[in-house]
Amino acid sequence: MSTSTVSTPDTTTPVEKRSALAPLGKPFAAAGGVLGIVAALLPWVTFTLNDGNWPDKSTLQFFDAPFAVTGFRWHVLLLGVLILVAAFAPTPSKGRVVRALGWGLTLVSFVNAAYITVKGGGLGAITALDGVTAFGSIVGLVAGVLAILAGYGIGIEPVGEWKFKVSTPVAYLVLLVSFAAVLYAVAAMLTTGGVGTSNPYSGAIFLSFLGFAAGVLGALSGVGFIRWLSALSEQHRVFSVIVLAACALLLPFTDAGNEYWMTVAANIGIYAATAIGLNIVVGLAGLLDLGYVAFMGIGALVAANFSGAATAHFGITLPFPVAAVAAAIVAGIFGAIVGSPTLRVRGDYLAIVTLAFGEIFTRSAQNNIGGITNGSNAIPGIPPLSLFGNEFNKSITLGAVKLPAGVLYYILIVLLVAATMAVFANLKFSRIGRAWIAIREDEDAARAMGIRTGKMKILAFLIGATLAGLAGAVFAHKNGTVSYESFKFLESVTLLAAVILGGMGSIPGAVLGAALLFVLPEKLRDFEDYRLMIFGLALILIMRFRPVGLIPDAHRRAEMIERADENAEEAHVEAKKA
Amino acid sequence: MRQHSVKSAAIVGAALLVLAACGSNKTEGGGNNGGSCDTSKGTLTVGVVAPLSGNLSALGIGIKQSAELAVDEANQKCTVKGYKLTVSAQDDEANPAKGAQAATKLSTDPNVVGVVGTLNSSVAQTVQPILRDKKIPQVSPANTNPTLTRGNDFLTAPKRQFDNYFRVCATDDLQGPYAANYLVEKAGKKKIAIITDGKTYGAGLAAELSKQVAKKGGQIVGQETVGEKDTDFSGVIAKVKALAPDAVYYGGEYPAAGPLSKQMASAGLNVPLMGGDGIFDGKFIELGGKEGDLATSVGAPTESLATAKAFVDAYKKKFGKEDYAAYGAFSYDAANAIIGALAKTIDGAAWDESKRDSMLTNVGSYSGSGATGEVKFDQYGDSTNKVLTVYSVTSGKWKDVQTGEFTG
Amino acid sequence: MSVLLQQLANGVIQGALIALIALGYTMVYGIIQLINFAHGEVFMVASYGGLATFTLLPDDLKKSPAVALPLMFVGGIVVAVLVAVIMERFAYRPLRNAPRLAPLITALGVSVFLQEAVRVWYPNATSNLPYPKVFPEGSLSLGSVNIAWTGVLLVGLSVGLSVILQTYINKSRMGRAMRATAQDPDTAKLMGVNPDRVIVLTFIFGAVLAGVAGVMFGGYLNNINIDMGFQNGIFAFTAAVLGGVGSIRGAVIGAFIIGLIKTLAGQYMPGGTQYDYVWIFVVLILVLVFRPQGLFGEPERVRA
Repeated sequence: MSTSTVSTPDTTTPVEKRSALAPLGKPFAAAGGVLGIVAALLPWVTFTLNDGNWPDKSTLQFFDAPFAVTGFRWHVLLLGVLILVAAFAPTPSKGRVVRALGWGLTLVSFVNAAYITVKGGGLGAITALDGVTAFGSIVGLVAGVLAILAGYGIGIEPVGEWKFKVSTPVAYLVLLVSFAAVLYAVAAMLTTGGVGTSNPYSGAIFLSFLGFAAGVLGALSGVGFIRWLSALSEQHRVFSVIVLAACALLLPFTDAGNEYWMTVAANIGIYAATAIGLNIVVGLAGLLDLGYVAFMGIGALVAANFSGAATAHFGITLPFPVAAVAAAIVAGIFGAIVGSPTLRVRGDYLAIVTLAFGEIFTRSAQNNIGGITNGSNAIPGIPPLSLFGNEFNKSITLGAVKLPAGVLYYILIVLLVAATMAVFANLKFSRIGRAWIAIREDEDAARAMGIRTGKMKILAFLIGATLAGLAGAVFAHKNGTVSYESFKFLESVTLLAAVILGGMGSIPGAVLGAALLFVLPEKLRDFEDYRLMIFGLALILIMRFRPVGLIPDAHRRAEMIERADENAEEAHVEAKKA
Repeated sequence: MRQHSVKSAAIVGAALLVLAACGSNKTEGGGNNGGSCDTSKGTLTVGVVAPLSGNLSALGIGIKQSAELAVDEANQKCTVKGYKLTVSAQDDEANPAKGAQAATKLSTDPNVVGVVGTLNSSVAQTVQPILRDKKIPQVSPANTNPTLTRGNDFLTAPKRQFDNYFRVCATDDLQGPYAANYLVEKAGKKKIAIITDGKTYGAGLAAELSKQVAKKGGQIVGQETVGEKDTDFSGVIAKVKALAPDAVYYGGEYPAAGPLSKQMASAGLNVPLMGGDGIFDGKFIELGGKEGDLATSVGAPTESLATAKAFVDAYKKKFGKEDYAAYGAFSYDAANAIIGALAKTIDGAAWDESKRDSMLTNVGSYSGSGATGEVKFDQYGDSTNKVLTVYSVTSGKWKDVQTGEFTG
Repeated sequence: MSVLLQQLANGVIQGALIALIALGYTMVYGIIQLINFAHGEVFMVASYGGLATFTLLPDDLKKSPAVALPLMFVGGIVVAVLVAVIMERFAYRPLRNAPRLAPLITALGVSVFLQEAVRVWYPNATSNLPYPKVFPEGSLSLGSVNIAWTGVLLVGLSVGLSVILQTYINKSRMGRAMRATAQDPDTAKLMGVNPDRVIVLTFIFGAVLAGVAGVMFGGYLNNINIDMGFQNGIFAFTAAVLGGVGSIRGAVIGAFIIGLIKTLAGQYMPGGTQYDYVWIFVVLILVLVFRPQGLFGEPERVRA
């Protein structure tokens, strides 16, 4: 391992030497896999908990069909089998794959064990009680830990690289199947554990599912599939966006197609669109904007005031498309104004300037400046959108299928996200996008190469703000209320967290980041209080351990790693000096 | 880093095994309040929208727990045949946008039969239309702004705004003038300075007060606005002090009013601060409310009313404390109005969303004797109970000094 | 006239508070060119630390201000220093060679984390908390102008501590090491200065001042909330920029200017006290755009 000259540098873990574990790799993996399968077939709970049966037939009382495993026990079984397969079949980057699957197994077991013990009032719930035992979770944990250790034993090699090329039809097919799988996974993720209060254990089921998904994704990424797929989708950009949008439009037809999830998904979409806009400013042009949500607020206020709501300031009611364009234009103008100090201010000072503008917006809106924001009272009662007499918040019937209420908003927002993604993608690979990236890399050099940096930077602010304004206009009608409280500093930080978590400069990253940051709190009501705290922690940890984000932009990835290497070298040299 | 986490995972696993012999406090099916009632048809939900976190949470939690008390009692008495009732409390953080989300969440649940809330009039404005679209009755224990029921011309041309909206408390067009009468006639304060937080509630209340002050021969010497989340009021106080008022009226809530009162005193402005029901809470005094400060609140003092005693006792028994706050009794009555109407609506049949129309009618015609006196709604959805009380801070506690109805 | 004098007095008190926080910003920026966005939260945490200290005191000690007050200061300062040292060690130090935006984003994360941690974990911190009445009550009357004794104390502490700090940095051996590191870290290292120690010490100094400010804030305004760190942090940052980041004297003078702008704008500008906040941000933007080196700072080097 130490001799391998790493061609694609490993970003997640420094190459570790675990010689002590090396001979134990395969045996551990075998044991982990077998134990995982055993764990799936064992009971997990000794009795019925206070809030009802633990899901998926896992108490002894309900354990009458040991091989009819469902839910999390099915996941455990699957992970166990996969560990065995990965360990003994020829797999690229074997150690990495086994380790990821082991983590998945550990997480699933841990989440279930923790919830069972907490809800059952102690460890007795999973161990011996009245002569009954339920060691499933403990066996699962041991199996998971063994598999992780096995991964290190086998050795953590660089992520596999798939060199082969495929013809366009095959690529299309692969993309189609992959995105369909993504759709299925998203629907499963949303519906797992049921909606809100209907299932007392929804939080546990969801977290357990997330653990499983993380394990499988980690394994796929370890094999090199994810990297190959992202390269493929980059190559067939237009097709990818279309298929992705089509998949998203199919979501209402899945199990997730109820009013609740349509509402939540629509909200996520609005923030995702805004996050993509922010990604232009931060990810492409490298200008940190800490007051970005103000543009969304401006867009929402413009739309609200022309919506015909009772407290709207202007007596004019504009049709939504006109109002939305107006909102985008006004927000864009403000974007250019806020961006204009970039002509003189750079770096973190610029971030502070944008923060100051954001605060000025919040304060002015709170004080009902010019009578257009209605201050702390907000602008309530904004009418829902309607098209051909269909109000967007009512349910509609398509042929024989009755679609849930809010589905029209969902469709509108999917289109909005698709449009912003298209704008982003086209800009990124255009002359303008290259100019932005050049500015981000080295502004002085960019200027020397003849890029008009000032104009370009203001353009970045302008376009980002325009997209946010558009999203804000939809937000106003979707939520029916516009209050300055929705556009405060912490919202800007949340959006920034979405962009950074997903990966700066990467389109799927921004969507993923926004989805994670807004789905998680919906699903984990128990932890709602900790939402922002976890965001804060996430920002710190990402900057420390994975500054490129979850789905790194290819270009950015190279750049960050190079820089990290340089720094490491520098530090090394310095350490020698000292 | 990785090595550590692997190690710690192993240690946790080992610890689990070692501890495995420990016992458990196995209990099953405890806490079923349904008791012997028939709950075969399932569970119906009474929603609560109130600030459960943030500065006004003391009031919001009082609202939530009092509603829970009403629901528990109904479950024990089998008030609604065939159903178990639960409370689903949503936090609005006293913020209209969050209130809209909370209301949307409740309105998408077909089993929600009614909503108790909100605390803030500003939040109510956004919740009303959302619940109206689903014909869910909303009974507020605390919204005092008159426009919510009777529209902008509530005195001259009242017009019902939302047929799903009711409230069990008296409105600001009574509360403001009642306070003005007390200030000018009883306390002899002729020069009054007004400070508000600019919200629907505070600004509305202050506007009603100023009209009556002028009518009674007093004088409004100045008007200032502060932010609802400000902590430093020295600037505003210096401005107001120059006007030499006899009293300061604050239209807003206790988180700002308490510190304001204290800072007034240390800046040498030694006049009483008066406010509405939004400052009538023990927290006001904790945060700096001084002796002689005044507040009006809706209803008779809870402790003094005979009908309220049962509520206070039951609340203390259930929650161990008397933190039902200013609106607890109102919330209890509001929840009971919803439950009573629901019992009448269902009447042995099964609940489904088509019953929402008759549910609205039944809430409108509800009449009962509650913790705040008689509970009944007029044609606008307002309470027919218009009793108001003036309280004053005396030896570190709110003490009632005058109870009555506004008579002009 | 008396209104003007009163507002001037208010402004000076406000400035004294901001100065204590601004020193922390300016010192850290001077040494490692980091906008320690979380410094405002250190101030906030200190305030809660002081309050917690008081809550934990036995009842008879609570009644004697002569004991309780110093203990609250100690408690606040200890909490602030602990938070600052942990923050430096685990959040900032690993990023010392990272791209410029990384530490700033980390600072944002630390700021949000601290604020939320207090909100969730400190009992009842979701609403304003009253500060105990152990501070001198009443006020000093000079003609028509009233100044609370706590305000007088605040100004005294602020001016006194900044003079001590300035002297320390100019005269002591460690102070010289700090100045050397600020000017040229590499050369300083060659001269035997341990940069890690200097940096930690800088954070500690900032935290001590923020600790004093946090407890005094509670004493002066009687109530604290979790937003106080963000708001006052921004004021302090503006003051540091106005004075010229890196300059101790500049930060203090900048702070008093900001305090006066806030109160005078509240009195005399259109919009009154509702918009006093906005004027500070306007000043901040104007300074950053037109004189980024501040009033007392050195002419600008390249800031990227």
